[in-house]
Amino acid sequence: MAREKEKRNSQAAEIWRRFRKNRTAVIGLVILILIVGMALFADLIVPYSKCIEQVGADRLQGPSLEHFFGTDELGRDLFARVVHGSRYSLFIGVATSLMALVIGAILGASAGYFGGMVDNIICRIVDIFLCVPPILLSLAVVAALGSNMQNLIIAITVSCIPGNVRLIRSVVLTVAEQEYVEAAKSYGTSNARIIFRYVLPNAMGPIIVNTTMAISDMILSAAGLSFIGMGIQPPSPEWGALLSNAQTYLFSAPYMLVFPGIFIVLSSLAFNLVGDGLTDALDPKLKD
Amino acid sequence: MEQVLKIEDLSICYKTDLETVYAVNGISFSIGAGETMGLVGETGAGKTTTALGIMGLLPERTGKITSGKILFEDQDLCGMTEHELLHIRGQKISMIFQDPMTALNPVLTVGDQIGEALYLHNQDGLSQKEIDKKVEETLEMVGIPKERKKEYPYQFSGGMRQRVVIAIALVCNPSLLIADEPTTALDVTIQAQILSMICDLQRKYGTSVIMITHDLGVVAETCDKVGIMYAGEIVEYGTLADIFTGEKHHPYTDGLFGSIPSLTENSRRLHPIEGLMPDPTELPKGCRFAPRCKRCSEICRQKKPPVYEENGHQIRCHLFSGKEDAR
Amino acid sequence: MKNLKKYFHTSGGVLHAVDDVSFQIQKGKTMGVVGESGCGKSTLGRTILCLNEPTAGEILFHGQDIAGLKKKEMNKIRPKMQMIFQDPYSSLNGRMTVRRLIEEPLIVNKVCKNKQELKERTDQIMETVGLAPRLAMSYPHELDGGRRQRIGIARALVLNPEFVVCDEPVSALDVSIQAQILNLLMDLQEKFGLTYLFITHDLSVVRHISDEIMVMYLGKCVERASFEEIFKNPVHPYTKALLAAIPIPSVESCHKRRELIQGEVTSPVDPKPGCRFAARCPYATEACRQSDIPLKEVAPGHMAACLRV
Repeated sequence: MAREKEKRNSQAAEIWRRFRKNRTAVIGLVILILIVGMALFADLIVPYSKCIEQVGADRLQGPSLEHFFGTDELGRDLFARVVHGSRYSLFIGVATSLMALVIGAILGASAGYFGGMVDNIICRIVDIFLCVPPILLSLAVVAALGSNMQNLIIAITVSCIPGNVRLIRSVVLTVAEQEYVEAAKSYGTSNARIIFRYVLPNAMGPIIVNTTMAISDMILSAAGLSFIGMGIQPPSPEWGALLSNAQTYLFSAPYMLVFPGIFIVLSSLAFNLVGDGLTDALDPKLKD
Repeated sequence: MEQVLKIEDLSICYKTDLETVYAVNGISFSIGAGETMGLVGETGAGKTTTALGIMGLLPERTGKITSGKILFEDQDLCGMTEHELLHIRGQKISMIFQDPMTALNPVLTVGDQIGEALYLHNQDGLSQKEIDKKVEETLEMVGIPKERKKEYPYQFSGGMRQRVVIAIALVCNPSLLIADEPTTALDVTIQAQILSMICDLQRKYGTSVIMITHDLGVVAETCDKVGIMYAGEIVEYGTLADIFTGEKHHPYTDGLFGSIPSLTENSRRLHPIEGLMPDPTELPKGCRFAPRCKRCSEICRQKKPPVYEENGHQIRCHLFSGKEDAR
Repeated sequence: MKNLKKYFHTSGGVLHAVDDVSFQIQKGKTMGVVGESGCGKSTLGRTILCLNEPTAGEILFHGQDIAGLKKKEMNKIRPKMQMIFQDPYSSLNGRMTVRRLIEEPLIVNKVCKNKQELKERTDQIMETVGLAPRLAMSYPHELDGGRRQRIGIARALVLNPEFVVCDEPVSALDVSIQAQILNLLMDLQEKFGLTYLFITHDLSVVRHISDEIMVMYLGKCVERASFEEIFKNPVHPYTKALLAAIPIPSVESCHKRRELIQGEVTSPVDPKPGCRFAARCPYATEACRQSDIPLKEVAPGHMAACLRV
């Protein structure tokens, strides 16, 4: 067992070594850790009460030592709102892409592995969904279900699934052609076992990468939906909602737009860089 | 006889962050005009690396020629710039690759691909018409009807594609042709056709050929000289007769012959070489073959064997070095 | 133990990969199947194991037709029939350790009662095929072709099968490793009384391992005989051509002109009636192109499908 652990570790170490070589990916990882840390320890950095505490005297103040990012039109501390907003935004991003991944993997793998009718039915449904622009699809879902956090997550997940199904199906198609899958069939392995033990692990590389990339997309579309008022409702401090709020004061208080904007861009950049780095690190063919 | 290619003490290694792979270690051989030299060895023996080294096609970042000279028509190819090499590569030295399925560009017609080489090395100022004519001649030469020059690679079968690859290699009348396992991917009946065609063309145009293969049968049918490679070294080198009927052999050569399932003998069991190729990142200290050799002695593990030579037949083994009664 | 017998017959469909082939293999013997790429030998092997549904015909294993069996019943027979694959690189799941790869058939078929037994059987088979125990926790990509092929063999044999289809098990290997693996296969056959269907394109390999040889061309069996017969008295022109095309590693063959067959394998899609080899055969006559040629017994146990015999 000890040896087995060692081996596992060495494979992880190998991936980490390759990842480390990619400098931009490491930068992305550092930013990511900082942002996630900020979300995890938001209460230690600044208490949540500061987000909703309205100080009438401090309306629309520019950045100062007291309010790092200034205050909004109701006198709420923007720094606190950005810090706590990261919880909402990151949670939405990670939750939606994981859900989309799981559903996409099941549908995509069955379509690619079984082929024939199953493939046809799944693909046609996916095609229908792909006809509608993802943001409109999310809008429709939110409009139908009503706008709150849960529905926002469902809406974004739905808009993301078709692309995932397509991607996973194509990866699975190539993996399912491999001889080891046939070998597994020759000693009587059940289909479910083949999919979960043979096909999906070998298709993991592109899927992981796509998921990390998707997280940043999710944050952006959540921000987009909140921006047009279909997402998280005030007073919850979601980044997109902050932006949407700021548009009224675009000229009088531009900092209200700038700080949440910077965080949205930074986090999606970080996820993208890490995803990019993982692409290379997980591909054993790029060993040197 | 005039020497077309002479290689002296060539060493090539691949360097990566983690390790250095010693792919070719001090090999020397020469080829006269119109001769065929066979390089035989197993996967990882350094055959293809040697070929790429001669062509100047080693992977830029990792592959490096560490020592030695490659003299082609008395010019050292190692010292040449990329620009100078362009004039030699494809025109005077050309190469046939192993896999005809991937060696052709699928979006160009075969005629265009053959013409490409001519067009790039167009020193005689051939017009488009003359190039077309030459392409047609070359196609006929390799046994493809000239009407097919407008077709794309996917319309050809494996054997036909390999003919196209050969046509590309030969269209500039090179003085040296490097064939890297030209028939490994083909069926036996097609292999026989291609081999006899290469031999015919060679005789007709006096091209020198380096035939890289792992199949001793192919060597016997096509080559004049043979070099047996093991772990980046030529362990035995001589004429075809030396290798196939000579009395003295390197133990590795013996092992190779013992491994081949014979068509004529009736023995059921084969006599393979035990063990595996050494790891090219950490080669054994003495003789490279010592760990697998049945006749290995203490000295083999300690000292690199010198080259024993008799009438041009070279064997790199302690068994034959110094006194005749060394064993 | 009865005769292991197969009757196999596929026809129709657009691509005639395997067309009307029948043969039988005795227990403990090896049937070699030889032919060029695209002649349907791999399809044949896969169909026998029911990895492909046969279009028509029956496959008799111990007298039982397994062609139309339900999945459940098939799973009972599966462990008795195993396959060794051609490519030791793509036939092993790169995400599993060597131990895991060999255990997998045992786990799937629920052969072992506990972990201890599982480990013992895996260790035992690894020793049998010559894999050092220290390799158990390696991943296949860390090993060379010969060792990987040994894993493939161990995986096929761990269920104690009676019948093994070897689909070009040595063609991806170097000669010296190839010889090691061939010897191993022959040793294992002796030890466990295995029955092989040995698919290869290499006549010299098949000569070493087979008792009986079947030559296939475009889905048809053109000649079938004991290995001595095929090499001594080949009857069918295609068999002769195959034999002539093999480069022989000796000086006498040097620069010798041989009789070569011209042309290439024609398409197996909707073949014309008549002898499939007629298009390349130097002796083809009008009669050859008229109708399919049945196998005829030219000598006891020697069948050939040619009008000239």
